[in-house]
Amino acid sequence: MKFFIIKLLTLLMLFSAASYANTDSVEASAEISTHKEETYKTQSFSEMISGFITSTGINAIINPNPNEMNAHGEPMSDFHKGMGRVIMILITFLLFYLAIAKGFEPLLLLPIGFGGLLANIPIANMAGPDGFLGIIYHMGLSNQLFPILIFMGVGAMTDFGPLLSNPKTAFLGGAAQFGIFGTLVGAVALAEYTPFFDFTLQQASAISIIGGADGPTSIFIATQLAPELLGAIAVASYSYMAMVPIIQPPIMKALTTDAERRIKMSTMRHVSRLEKLVFPIMVLVLAILVLPDATPLIGAFMFGNFLKESGVVDRLSDTMQNALINIITIFLGLAVGSKLAADQFLVADTLAILALGIIAFSVGTAAGVIMAKIMNLFPGNKINPLIGSAGVSAVPMAARVSNKVGMEYDRTNMLLMHAMGPNVAGVIGSAVAAGVLISIFK
Amino acid sequence: MLYNGAKLVKKGYYMETNLVLEGIKFMGLGMGAVFLFIAVMIFFMGAMSKAVHKFFPEVQPNLGSSSKNTQDINQQQKVVAAITAAIKHHRES
Repeated sequence: MKFFIIKLLTLLMLFSAASYANTDSVEASAEISTHKEETYKTQSFSEMISGFITSTGINAIINPNPNEMNAHGEPMSDFHKGMGRVIMILITFLLFYLAIAKGFEPLLLLPIGFGGLLANIPIANMAGPDGFLGIIYHMGLSNQLFPILIFMGVGAMTDFGPLLSNPKTAFLGGAAQFGIFGTLVGAVALAEYTPFFDFTLQQASAISIIGGADGPTSIFIATQLAPELLGAIAVASYSYMAMVPIIQPPIMKALTTDAERRIKMSTMRHVSRLEKLVFPIMVLVLAILVLPDATPLIGAFMFGNFLKESGVVDRLSDTMQNALINIITIFLGLAVGSKLAADQFLVADTLAILALGIIAFSVGTAAGVIMAKIMNLFPGNKINPLIGSAGVSAVPMAARVSNKVGMEYDRTNMLLMHAMGPNVAGVIGSAVAAGVLISIFK
Repeated sequence: MLYNGAKLVKKGYYMETNLVLEGIKFMGLGMGAVFLFIAVMIFFMGAMSKAVHKFFPEVQPNLGSSSKNTQDINQQQKVVAAITAAIKHHRES
């Protein structure tokens, strides 16, 4: 009995201690809430209204906040805080128009445009390190994750059959990379001989990769060599890729004779499944031996392709071709759009980038066509020079353009599959060019 | 102001080197590497195709198409037989 009472007493003591602790925490929280109440001052209604007005977007545009910093925490000019933002928002509307009404790469220009629209909203600071655009940017773009994942999906969508059945057309894909390096020289010449532009070699390299006509590769290089130019480079790269059907045909026609455009190419041989399966591994091994700096891009590309050709993991290859690439495209577009902030895009350099980008494209196209003509000087099966332009990557748009221009002169001349060879070789070529540029600046 | 300062530093850093000459060097190296890679790739593609055709000839292209043809003919014969049987049955009834 005595034992029982002792037990009861200890139990009671425990309870009381617990409840005491409880009241402690209640008191503490009450203290915090009183602190909060202290910081909130009652305001008159007119004060509240004037406070609200100073927090509106209109006020932020008309009277820029002198303490506002850009996404990198640096001060920016009043123009970039005020009218610059309005101009940028109008530019994003132009991107919407191009994407929706003109069909220019809507899959990328819409997310990029909308990201740009959000990034230019004053006060909200979505492109800053704590805004959601900034978080997406740091999640996958500043560390080059997204372009690599896109490359996996592109690899899973690529068929190397046309290239394997006519391997020498790969030279056309190599020649088109002249657009990259030719523009590199052009960009540094601009920097050297004009007072308006001042590109470093890194920046010039990042700009010139637009000539590779390969969005993910451009972004990969730009984030590595010149992140400050990323927005302009990505926008130039994707909008020119969309304009391939407008840019390429005049160059192709100017450089070829009527007889050359009518050349019919021999039919393609059958490519066995094993060849297609060995090819990605073979290219990867070559890249490992020759240029390990290109292996992030080529490795991801060949991984996607290997899964597709293996034929036993259709689920994975299907995810890469559809779900994964779509998700990453949304993130990539928004993250690139966050770099369309006025203080980074509305600079003289952007105009130079847009101009150099179109030169890079044109030079690449011309180099591919000229290479095909040079190859026709040698004995062997003749090549229709029109497929040379497909050497700039832009899969499969450039190949379709070759086919379309060929059909204009001979309705029966189907060049599409022949043009796919240089087209996919162009992807490999730009990845190699990217690897060379990275290896130079290491 | 800050940006201008950065520019000056950049300019000073590259002052002693001719940027265009550097660019041309890059072009030589880059195009050389691209063509070397493509040439080696083409060589190995040819070798690989030959090896695959020699050691692992695919039975599909020749045998596959011919068997498909005989299958097709069989199928057609069956269809013809079925139709004639149906017509015969229709006439008799």
